Amino acid sequence: MPRRSVWLALLAIAASSVKAADRQVSFSKDIEPIFQASCWTCHGATVQSSKLDLRTRQSALKGGEHGIVLLPGKAEGSRLYRLVAGLETPRMPMSGKLTPDQVEAIKLWIDRGAQWESAAERSPASEALNWWAFQKPVRPAVPVTSVERMNRHPVDAFLMKAMQAQGVKPAPPADRQTLLRRAYLDLIGLPPTLAQAAEFLDDKSPDAWDKLIDRLLASPQYGERWGRHWLDVARYADSNGFEHDFDRPNAWRYRDYVIRAFNRDKPYNQFLREQIAGDELEPVTKDSLIATGFLRSYAKVGYREKDNPEFRYEYLDDMIATIGRGILGLTVQCARCHDHKFDPIPQTDYYRMQASLFGSVEVDHPLTSPEEARAYETKTAELDARVNEIRQKIRTLEQPYRNTLLPPKYKKFPQNIQDAIAVPEAQRTPGQQLLASQVIRTVSVSSAEMERIMKPEDLAERRRLEAQIAAINKERPQRIPVAMGMTDGDYRFTPDGPGDEPAPGKGVKREAIEGSYLHTGPGRYQVPPSYLLIRGDLNSRGPEMKPGFVSAITYGNPPVELPPASGHTSGRRRAMAEWLVSPENPLTARVIVNRIWHHHFGRGIVATLDNFGKLGELPTNPELLDWLAVEFMDRGWSVKELHRLLMTSEAYRMTSQFNDASNMAKDPQDRLYWRFRISRVEAEILRDSILAVSGALNTEMFGKPVFPKLPPEILAQTKEGIWLDHEDGPEVWRRSIYIYRKRGLPFPLLDVFDLPNQNISCGARDVSTVPTQALALMNDEFVVRQARLFASRLEEAAPGDPRKQVELGYRLALSRPPDAEESKLAAEFLAGHKLADFAHVLLNLNEFLYVR
Amino acid sequence: MKRFRSRREFLFESGGGISGMALAWLLNQDGLLASDEDACSNSSSTPNPFASRKPHFPPRAKSVISLFMSGGVSHVDTFDPKTALARYAGQPLTGRGDIIVRQGNPGPLMPSPFTFRKYGGSGIDVSEIFPHIASHVDELAVIRSMYSMSNDHVQAVYALQSGVIRMGFPCLGSWVTYGLGSESNNLPGFVVIYDARGGPMGGPSDWSQGFMPAAYQGTVFKASGTPIFDLKPPSGVTPGQERARLDYLGKLNQLDARKYPGDTELAARINSYELAYRMQSCAPEAVDLEKESAATRKLYGFDDPVTEPFARQCLMARRLVERGVRFVQLYHGGLGVQNIDTWDAHENVRENHGRHAKEVDLPISGLLTDLKARGLLDSTLVIWQGEFGRMPISQRGLGRDHNPGAMSIWMAGAKIKGGQVIGSSDEFGYKAEEQPISVHDFHATILHLLGMDHTRLTYRFNGRDMRLTDVYGELIPQIVKT
Repeated sequence: MPRRSVWLALLAIAASSVKAADRQVSFSKDIEPIFQASCWTCHGATVQSSKLDLRTRQSALKGGEHGIVLLPGKAEGSRLYRLVAGLETPRMPMSGKLTPDQVEAIKLWIDRGAQWESAAERSPASEALNWWAFQKPVRPAVPVTSVERMNRHPVDAFLMKAMQAQGVKPAPPADRQTLLRRAYLDLIGLPPTLAQAAEFLDDKSPDAWDKLIDRLLASPQYGERWGRHWLDVARYADSNGFEHDFDRPNAWRYRDYVIRAFNRDKPYNQFLREQIAGDELEPVTKDSLIATGFLRSYAKVGYREKDNPEFRYEYLDDMIATIGRGILGLTVQCARCHDHKFDPIPQTDYYRMQASLFGSVEVDHPLTSPEEARAYETKTAELDARVNEIRQKIRTLEQPYRNTLLPPKYKKFPQNIQDAIAVPEAQRTPGQQLLASQVIRTVSVSSAEMERIMKPEDLAERRRLEAQIAAINKERPQRIPVAMGMTDGDYRFTPDGPGDEPAPGKGVKREAIEGSYLHTGPGRYQVPPSYLLIRGDLNSRGPEMKPGFVSAITYGNPPVELPPASGHTSGRRRAMAEWLVSPENPLTARVIVNRIWHHHFGRGIVATLDNFGKLGELPTNPELLDWLAVEFMDRGWSVKELHRLLMTSEAYRMTSQFNDASNMAKDPQDRLYWRFRISRVEAEILRDSILAVSGALNTEMFGKPVFPKLPPEILAQTKEGIWLDHEDGPEVWRRSIYIYRKRGLPFPLLDVFDLPNQNISCGARDVSTVPTQALALMNDEFVVRQARLFASRLEEAAPGDPRKQVELGYRLALSRPPDAEESKLAAEFLAGHKLADFAHVLLNLNEFLYVR
Repeated sequence: MKRFRSRREFLFESGGGISGMALAWLLNQDGLLASDEDACSNSSSTPNPFASRKPHFPPRAKSVISLFMSGGVSHVDTFDPKTALARYAGQPLTGRGDIIVRQGNPGPLMPSPFTFRKYGGSGIDVSEIFPHIASHVDELAVIRSMYSMSNDHVQAVYALQSGVIRMGFPCLGSWVTYGLGSESNNLPGFVVIYDARGGPMGGPSDWSQGFMPAAYQGTVFKASGTPIFDLKPPSGVTPGQERARLDYLGKLNQLDARKYPGDTELAARINSYELAYRMQSCAPEAVDLEKESAATRKLYGFDDPVTEPFARQCLMARRLVERGVRFVQLYHGGLGVQNIDTWDAHENVRENHGRHAKEVDLPISGLLTDLKARGLLDSTLVIWQGEFGRMPISQRGLGRDHNPGAMSIWMAGAKIKGGQVIGSSDEFGYKAEEQPISVHDFHATILHLLGMDHTRLTYRFNGRDMRLTDVYGELIPQIVKT
């Protein structure tokens, strides 16, 4: 629905202090919550006690088997009121009294006509639509200030204007050593090597800084750092989560796709298109298919999915939440059960978004040519058919032996079961039928058992048949690589996943419809119907929903379906992708620009990266944010261009050591960016830096995840899923982005340094300071071993020369030489302690842990 | 959470959305405000004066020991006797719609293999498998009308712990420490001790802080040996070496801190090393059960190999609570062999529950006795629960399948009126019937006993004030009334 269409103004919120006569009562705010909490359980969708259904005005007016309950305009005469007020018995609700306030609300509501706005009819109020974030960004003029140094770069000019308004002074520039380390940790997440440091520090040309940025952006390690930020947003993990925490053997391809996309500077709009609708683009590429793993990165129960249809709605909700928070900075998922309480997002918007995604299903996209994929499938199906035929022969052959061996097996069951089985089927009591059914068909006979009693000729025949199967299996073609992604299809025909087999004797409930999982033609794929769910309840269907978007940020009338020529998919996700990346969308560019700003400067212009709505923070510099958003789009949505833009500002190059008392008093939080904000490195940077400094880092990129060895007491915490527990050594001394992300067992060394929860889209990580971090850095075997390697490196470089070793240690770990006092302290320490202890201390320094 | 993006920022912003008590706790927890006392013990009797963790109203208890029976305890075989099961034994359970079992088909109704008898002055019926716990029945408030949210183990454990069946939400222990902080300077505020056979189903997510900062995560204490992971330096490092390293590190960090005067985050990190150092001696001291008298150890069941493992967990819990730890989460039953090493009695209730009851009965009874004798029971809330109840019908003859529709739990301590039964399940124990109590009601009540209003204990996440009880939760009147 386009915005600014007709809406009903909502009634103002009732304040508890107003007198009854002045009290405003709204169905949605006051009455519906009461009905929901106290009435609909017995007079709602599933149950209608006394045949009374209070879900709609129409059904409520009809009354129940005891007559009329609701007389609009006459509360005193309405039994609905009289029962909740205790004027008649039995007092309602049965579960407990309503508060006097609630009773009064019901009285007023009935007296005033018992109006009933259904969720589907409501629309947001106009003033809510005027929220700053819902207006399209317009490029503001770049201001000119009286501080010459801050006029050369638009970013600085906007910041300076705000500083001047508050009487705050900008900090002077940082020294080059600090800038060098800052740029390295920021852009590639590793400290500079000695050669890299020299390359910059020795370069006295005026564009040395620009060249440094170019070098870092061109480094393949850039994607490993900035891809990680996006993987947080995408709640990426290598396992399913929940009870079984099944492995996702192909999830890593999506991780690699993200790294590649950042390294190649894939325009952000194309990056989003591929992740939302990579299977619907023209042309579809391997990368675009892999990209659809974004939608599928939700935690998944992965067991008995078909017995539990509600799971699918949880996954859809997760997709909507991730698109909302991650791309739009909006809490769209809050409108699942009711209209959003703070932002103008009606429940209908949520279910329109859901309808846009409803046609999608999980699929493993083959990453070969379609011909190869088809050939693989055909060959596999043919072999399967041949194998099954032989299996059937084996079963027939075995049947008499099975019949002989089965009955004694029932003896292991309790007497009541044996008794039940002993009774002929027709004569069993109802209870005995249940007992027997729990056992019969669940008992199996192994082939080894049968072998023992088989006649030699049958045994020979079975062996011959088994040899045939083995021969057929040798013909199996090599498995083709697949990507874990999404495409359109009919979820009602989802093939069985692991653990999806129905329990014996228990048919999976399937709707009696004809169809197939994926649509391969002819004709256009039809999305199964989806509905507004009243209170989010799967069993309370409202009207069928058409696809659509968040109305408050939809300008014009964008298409809601852009079906591809093949007709294999609906084109709904393609339309959603185009809506997301449209220059008409007021949020997408602002949100990503703000994320990137946050990672460079330590605090977003909007501090709540994932929430630009009413409950988010206001931008500290709205003009700057808008200028950046427009500039970003004008520069082709290039993320690398944005890095260049931000990092060439004075603001990025200010010192963090500027403690101006007047500034501190006026803006203690540095919301105006008057100095560079120091921040603790993220968990991965910490581990990667340790490896880089010790000289052990294995820079191999991409591929299957690694599983660094964990102590048995950690592994004992869960036995679900996989942990291959590779030996501690170069194979696992790779960058932390390649460590297996197991939802049920976050990697401890990273976890203690605030690895985000892997189940919810996360923009800004927490930074906590707890003693367990100190314990990990002091005592963890990995850190201790790396400290020893670091010491060996120093010893090899400067054998027997402690002074040189100290100097080199400082340069490697902190990208600077020690000062006189530090040299003296180091010499004193080394007089009594081992070099490894010195190296270990360097890895624990605050300076090592912070970007400055 | 963005509020926690930077501790510096957070300290400056302390008025903005976070309560003063959490602030005080964070300071305390970093050792910023910690006094320099060396003693590990008695920190609870000399609480940090700055850590004024004000609850919303005067609390009934200041700490919690949660006893979680992993796998799902059968209520009809423990605290909820059903004579109808004997009367209708062997007949199908009818008139309840589809009976949803976790595995296979439903069986017929099955009476409990155990006998019940009345205990204490209150005369509450308890199964014969809990003779020792039953001797405390006049101190227990037994709830027979609790129900769970899923018939899958893990989802149900998450529900009991966080109120949500999905991963990623803060658990009860995290909420409590977030709200009240710790009273110990030297120990984590929220400690988890799981079964020596392995972690509970659901793994570390069971004690996850979800979207809160890592500080609120449960810290696992091992039931024997060095209690905390990475607590001790690897072998070969002498205490002298370690101290020297810390001193050297401290000197360098202090030098560095001069460049950033007033930066509390850097100061906190410096202090965290001292706190870590103190933990190295205090955590082992806290769980050094050798210090306990022979009589105490016997009381918990140390002299029997069957009861010894859970006795260790229970005694550790008491010692931790004594030292100011806010929330101790014990798990009984672990991931050895699921149907055997947990309460998940699909095969044989008599055999499974008989064995596990023996493992916990004396230790739990000992814990209650000991807490009472030391005057700790009034200030400690003890809760006993599993993730769901079990079916009144049989599974393959002698077992019972999962039943989220009804379960029995009990609460003790915190000046709760003991010897009372709250609510009831239906005639067969299939569903909660009179006064059904949800997980949210349970959580709301626990927070209330700790002095917190569950509707006001909020954490701003993603633009929403999140609650442990979401939009639900009613106090259980019989528990909260004094």
